[in-house]
Amino acid sequence: MTALLEIRNITQRFSGLTANSDVSISVGRGEIVGLIGPNGAGKSTLFNLIAGAFKPTEGKILFDGEDVTSLPAAERCQRGIGRTFQVVKSFESMTVIENVIVGSLVRTTNMRDARRKAHEVLAFCGLDARADVLASDLVPSEKRRLEVARALATEPKLLLLDEVLTGLTPVESQKGVELVRRVRDTGITVLMVEHVMEIVMPLVDRAIVLDLGKVLIEGSPKDVVRDPKVISAYLGDRHAVGA
Amino acid sequence: MDKAFIQRRRRDLILAAFLAAIAAAVPFFVKDVYVQNIMVLTLMYAALSQSWNILSGYCGQISLGHALYFGLGAYTTAILFTKFGVLPWFGMLAGGLISAVIAMALGYPCFRLGGHYFVIATIVIAEITLLLFQNWDFAGAALGIDIPVRRDSWLTFQFTRSKLPYFYFALALACVAWFVTWWLEDSKWGYWWRAVKDNPLAAESLGVDVFNSKMGAAAVSAFLVAIGGSFYAQFVSYIDPESVMGFQFSLLMALPAVLGGIGTLWGPMLGAVILIPLTELTRSYIGGSGRGVDLIVYGGLIIAISLARPQGLVSLFSRKPKPAAQPAREAVAS
Repeated sequence: MTALLEIRNITQRFSGLTANSDVSISVGRGEIVGLIGPNGAGKSTLFNLIAGAFKPTEGKILFDGEDVTSLPAAERCQRGIGRTFQVVKSFESMTVIENVIVGSLVRTTNMRDARRKAHEVLAFCGLDARADVLASDLVPSEKRRLEVARALATEPKLLLLDEVLTGLTPVESQKGVELVRRVRDTGITVLMVEHVMEIVMPLVDRAIVLDLGKVLIEGSPKDVVRDPKVISAYLGDRHAVGA
Repeated sequence: MDKAFIQRRRRDLILAAFLAAIAAAVPFFVKDVYVQNIMVLTLMYAALSQSWNILSGYCGQISLGHALYFGLGAYTTAILFTKFGVLPWFGMLAGGLISAVIAMALGYPCFRLGGHYFVIATIVIAEITLLLFQNWDFAGAALGIDIPVRRDSWLTFQFTRSKLPYFYFALALACVAWFVTWWLEDSKWGYWWRAVKDNPLAAESLGVDVFNSKMGAAAVSAFLVAIGGSFYAQFVSYIDPESVMGFQFSLLMALPAVLGGIGTLWGPMLGAVILIPLTELTRSYIGGSGRGVDLIVYGGLIIAISLARPQGLVSLFSRKPKPAAQPAREAVAS
């Protein structure tokens, strides 16, 4: 079986600045893959390229065997790529349930079905009690959860999570980790960008480390954290010598 | 599972039917022609504002050029009637369709503009069209079109002896505009529009076709406004560019919605019922002195309402969705 997502030789330049250079990665079905790296490594750029926020300067993105490189974000969503935003982008004037209904309308135009689906997803994410609250009244951790719920309502094959676990209290992030596991258990492939290693490492099946726009190393979390190159990328060369 | 939601939708519908029935009975008690005239205008602006609200309130694309569609509706009906003998009912439909098509043609470039530039574009386009009509000889140029008055008839939609037919048509139009909004509110389009207004980037990531959402909203909005324009042409039976395409019409469509509650189902209705009589009354009682006192009073009231209730008067009535008893703590712990 082919990989669900395949990125081939992606290069992205922003007027002189090269954010990604010749990046090739693939994500298999049912995996939880962590995309990590220090600040400025090009994680978010790569993430946005996969989600379709903009087109890469060079390279190809294959999803489910099809070339989606030049498809706009909305069409990628229809094909099964769901995403969250690092800086939450709730529909603030709408209630929580209405936010999620927007997502479920990709799969159905029947309002009754869309609403039912939205309730299911909210229950799955532990937000159903807050269904009729305005999104603007949610606390930050709930807004993160709403981001995930909205994306799940689009019934994605691949869920892209952009730092959903960052900046939460230990209890909240533990809840988040459980949620991601349950998402994967429903058969959805997860690609998550995280900044903080200790949160992602126990969760992911495979980690891809980006540094200075390139893939530094990829492999099992255990191997990755021990790799001298990773340690030096995060902490500087001095610490890598002893490793 | 969502009884509260279904109940709320049903309650809105029943309330609307009830209010429409009361409105329909009012002319039996109010015989004064001047007051009836104000009622017709109020209902017309309620319908217009409700239609404006679809594009600008729900979809968030603020237009201050809707006078264009109002004028197109009026002119299409008047030209077809006076030059080709086409009954106003068909003219109305033609005006609506023409406006919808033009709205989409203009939307094609304009919806790519962000923020204030879109608003400015709508104003400019309406003003340019106004100038074009002022110089278009076939359409009577600056002199406009005098619609010849014949016998009172529903066929030609002309009534000289009574305002009542106009009143009931305006009422019907307001009801249609309201109902279309009500219906669209709980449809894919309604959700898409609100998503586009709140956050286009997030909307796109959820599969919303942002551009076509705006186009759809523009078409529906322009169609309904043009019907209002057609009606107005028959109602006043004389039109010229300034009297159907002037900037004040764009404002009078926007203001009721803004005051009543932009992007809400009832806002435009409530706003029109307060604002339009106020406009007419201040003009006839304290206007006419040439010193613009009526405009000062009018402007002052608008400022007062906007300061006291920036989210619109309708928020006075809406019961806020009760915030769950202990939101923050429970959410963190659960």
